[in-house]
Amino acid sequence: MTNPYEILGVAPTASSADIQKAYRKLAKTLHPDLNPGDKAAEEKFKEVVGAYDLLGDAEKRKRFDDGEIDATGAERPPQHFYRDFATSDHAHPYTNNSGFADFLDGDDALAELLRRSERARANRRGQDLHYRLPIDFVESITGANKRLTLPDGGTLDVTIPPGMVDGQILRLRGKGAPGTGTGGHGDALIEVEIVPDRRFTREGDDISLEVPISLTEAVLGGRIRVPTPTGDVTMTVPKGSNTGTTMRLRGKGAPRRDGGHGDQFVKLRVVLPKSPDPELEAFVSSWDKGKTFNPREDSAS
Amino acid sequence: MIMNKQEFLTYAGLQTQTLEHWLEQRWLIPDQTGVGANFSDMDVARARLIGNLQTDLGVNDEGVDIILHLLDQLHGLRRVLDKMHKDL
Repeated sequence: MTNPYEILGVAPTASSADIQKAYRKLAKTLHPDLNPGDKAAEEKFKEVVGAYDLLGDAEKRKRFDDGEIDATGAERPPQHFYRDFATSDHAHPYTNNSGFADFLDGDDALAELLRRSERARANRRGQDLHYRLPIDFVESITGANKRLTLPDGGTLDVTIPPGMVDGQILRLRGKGAPGTGTGGHGDALIEVEIVPDRRFTREGDDISLEVPISLTEAVLGGRIRVPTPTGDVTMTVPKGSNTGTTMRLRGKGAPRRDGGHGDQFVKLRVVLPKSPDPELEAFVSSWDKGKTFNPREDSAS
Repeated sequence: MIMNKQEFLTYAGLQTQTLEHWLEQRWLIPDQTGVGANFSDMDVARARLIGNLQTDLGVNDEGVDIILHLLDQLHGLRRVLDKMHKDL
């Protein structure tokens, strides 16, 4: 652990004015934004800032001197410095070429190089803009048309193709930030977020769904209406269906890449009436076979 | 990240008045859109630099003006240097 007094180069008895003075002197030569080309400066600057955080604050300094906190008491989150953006290739409003404008007029190789890079920057494509768009599960299967409201108040119409998965990214060409000169617009990149549905779950191209059926439907069979992402369909429950019986609705799943669709699996769940029914109780107690049937027979117990 | 004025104030930890002053001085030049200014991460970093200069380093308004102007020139030069370095 490095001693913050050593980092700032002051005596432990230094006054707060001396500490500030020492900090400013170091910061001038180490601040990454004032020394954009000096990679090593950043680490040193962080140390100096950490030390000054501690010693520049009378309260913290006292606690450090008293040994209550150590030198890392002033840890800082990672920071992006201005220099990280300023030299990047993207066009930005702070560009200033007055540092070399006089060279541009020459007719030597350097001037030509400079002019070429100026032209390239003048016609730069706009930045891609990133958005998130939440859609319903059903919309992710069937596709949808959505309108996205942008932070600047504008809107963007987005056509969601059928069969999206969570986190998939749609690229809208030319809907990003404007470029400069003939550079054209960047793209809008839209990350689709699928809001889970409490009925449906998806595995690959298939969709599963649990449907409650009555005891009568389970024993005698019958036709029931089942929801699918593309609307309700009628399905036949065979006689003697049970909780856990799974039936397949062909082609009612998510669209496949190669055309066609996955399937929807319907898992049945037998549900008894909520309130006890005397008639049912009377019937079951008179049903002898029911008493001898032990569904736990197979399970080792 | 693109943010509006209110988000920028929160994110950069600035007072409205301070920001208005900086915009007036053209120290910050956010993207102007129909419904207000759009600030970027770069503006946040630049705002932090200005804050550093004023608070930590005790630079006054005129000094900030000069430093930003020189820094922008320096970055312009660094950019060209970088481009030529790649071209050669």
